Amino acid sequence: MKEKKISLAHGNGGVYMRELIDDIFASKLHNDFLNTEHDAAHLKLNNSDWAMTTDGFTVQPLFFPGGNIGSLAIHGTVNDLAVSGAKAKYLSLNAFLEEGLDITDLEIIVSSMAIAAKEAQIDIVTGDTKVLPFGHGGGIYFATTGIGERLKNLRLNHSNIQPGDKILVSGPIGNHGIAVMMAREAFGLSSDITSDSANIYPFVECLNALNTPEKIKCLRDPTRGGLNMLVQDWSRNTKLGVMLKEDQLPIEPAVASVCNMLGYDPFNLACEGRVLAAVSPELAQDVLQLWRELECGEQASCVGEFTCEHKQVVMETSIGGQRILQALEDEPLPRIC
Amino acid sequence: MNARYWLDKINSLSKPPQTFNVLNVCGGHERSITQAGLRSVLPQWLRLVPGPGCPVCVCPEADIALAITIALKETVSLLAFGDMLRVPINSAALHKLLPKHIRSLENAKAAGADIRPVASPLEVKALALENPHTQFVFFAAGFETTMAPVAAMMSEFFSGNLPGNISFLISGRKTWPAVKHLLDDEQSAPIHGLIAPGHVATIMGAKEWQFVANDYQLPTAIAGFDSESLLQAFYCVRYQTEIKKPTLQNCYPRAVKPEGNKLAQSTLEQCFSVNDANWRGIGSIEQSGYQLRAELNNVNAQLKFAGYLDEINEAFARDSMPKSCRCADVVMARILPDQCALYGKSCLPRQALGPCMVSDEGACRIWWSAGLKGSSLQ
Ligand code: SF4
Repeated sequence: MKEKKISLAHGNGGVYMRELIDDIFASKLHNDFLNTEHDAAHLKLNNSDWAMTTDGFTVQPLFFPGGNIGSLAIHGTVNDLAVSGAKAKYLSLNAFLEEGLDITDLEIIVSSMAIAAKEAQIDIVTGDTKVLPFGHGGGIYFATTGIGERLKNLRLNHSNIQPGDKILVSGPIGNHGIAVMMAREAFGLSSDITSDSANIYPFVECLNALNTPEKIKCLRDPTRGGLNMLVQDWSRNTKLGVMLKEDQLPIEPAVASVCNMLGYDPFNLACEGRVLAAVSPELAQDVLQLWRELECGEQASCVGEFTCEHKQVVMETSIGGQRILQALEDEPLPRIC
Repeated sequence: MNARYWLDKINSLSKPPQTFNVLNVCGGHERSITQAGLRSVLPQWLRLVPGPGCPVCVCPEADIALAITIALKETVSLLAFGDMLRVPINSAALHKLLPKHIRSLENAKAAGADIRPVASPLEVKALALENPHTQFVFFAAGFETTMAPVAAMMSEFFSGNLPGNISFLISGRKTWPAVKHLLDDEQSAPIHGLIAPGHVATIMGAKEWQFVANDYQLPTAIAGFDSESLLQAFYCVRYQTEIKKPTLQNCYPRAVKPEGNKLAQSTLEQCFSVNDANWRGIGSIEQSGYQLRAELNNVNAQLKFAGYLDEINEAFARDSMPKSCRCADVVMARILPDQCALYGKSCLPRQALGPCMVSDEGACRIWWSAGLKGSSLQ
């Protein structure tokens, strides 16, 4: 790593985080199962196929429109398993609570967790709690581990991606990022934007039932770093270029207008309930049709495709111009003026 | 009428014998232009040139040095807009006052100073109310658009509603004097049309920009921030040239009125006087800086911590950009960002050598984030 100290940028899902993982964790901890390009590890236990993932949750504030850190922790874990082609079964939960935390808040958060877990048909089967002294730890941090059974038909890997493959997104992007930002109240802006935090497993399950599941090449959920970061990852890993079409990106008008005001790009913002799929071109319409029938899938859209003509991520803008997208480097720094 | 309509209109104009340089003076404009990829769809003869649109880029080193010194040596919490934190200054000059490795607010923060990024004056007030026992110093660099909300908050001092634990370190600048300075500067690129800043004009009024058409015979159009408004403005300035009638047109009438926002102007007036002020790497520009009025001496951090000023002013008597950084030339439209030899090589957003690569309003950063390279101005 070039940097001497950890900075917030090492956590933003961008270039710094990739270096942190590659240069420190992956290089020292490597083994046959660890693949830091995937959201979950694939394991064989008792002759059946499982996937295992782990995740940490430090969102501030703890409550935001459309969810809270409790529901988010469940969705985040379940979704990481879903995009690696597995149905979550069991979760473990670590709760790091800060001295002074309101018990009522904690109760509300754990209740939302229970509701989200029930809805996703998973059980939280083990856990641990720690209390940190006041001033150390933002109220609540959660750490989870999840294991899930792999779906039989989906064999997802970015190495299957070919030029011409389409990139699909299951719904509008940027909502979670903006909802959380608004909830921080730093901007004095108010909006009705709610987080998209949700269990995305239904979007994966329906793909398992396709006649040609091998044409689903790879799935990811665009959390930190947003859609752009995932596409950058795919482009880097496949050594292919990507053409995105700006006017095909589903973005709610309210999200677009806040982004405009703060100078953010919606495709760099986190989602917590969306799926990004790389699929063979002939399957794109079928997938969109399946997705559009699901709750929150009405705006599913084909946003771009892979190409061998260049190696960059290029967006065709609404007016027909071109813009090269770079991987997010440091934190965007908004100001209101 | 949409963006496509104006693009077609521009394309239907006859090609002038020389490249037609259109200057914009707002980071928001440059960002909209670049992100929409407008340069790639416009005819080659139309060249869009970024100018003085980034307040962070021109904030004098002495102001930043004072903020760093206060944060390190006083028991205060220093608040600044996030983009200010990473702006580097030349530390050699600071050695007497500060440890060697500190050359930005971010370094000072890492060394233990209580420095927090904020996004708006509202956040400053909220912090002050939540932490009544902490003394806050709000370091605000910005143009009219930033200074108006800062003044709105500051003016609460007069009604007794400003929390008693806030004081202000202001590095506020007016936009039009810098544009005048640029138009008078012989080294700047020849400018054939001006896109006046929509947000600034919303506050200060369209009238402020009349001088460009009157005194410089330069076609001028005020633009908003979507492609439609920008393309309309480009069309207007070129069309004015064709019919040889330079004037001021308002392509953002939804927000911009001839008189502007009177209330915001009177609040600015109430809090600030306007004086000659230093622009980093450029020098002093007449009547371009906001200074706190004497009535606000009680909340003026510059007076409160005046003890450091002599040393700092002496150390930064020659205010400059980091070595080899051509940010001032970018701001003055003498070069385009990618004509700086360091652009995209040793200077990148993650290791910005100059302020233009730090701030989201800086032309170097905007260009780099959109992958722009290979242009030339001269
Ligand atoms: S590229 Fe970097 S060094 Fe060059 S002018 Fe811009 S900020 Fe300065």
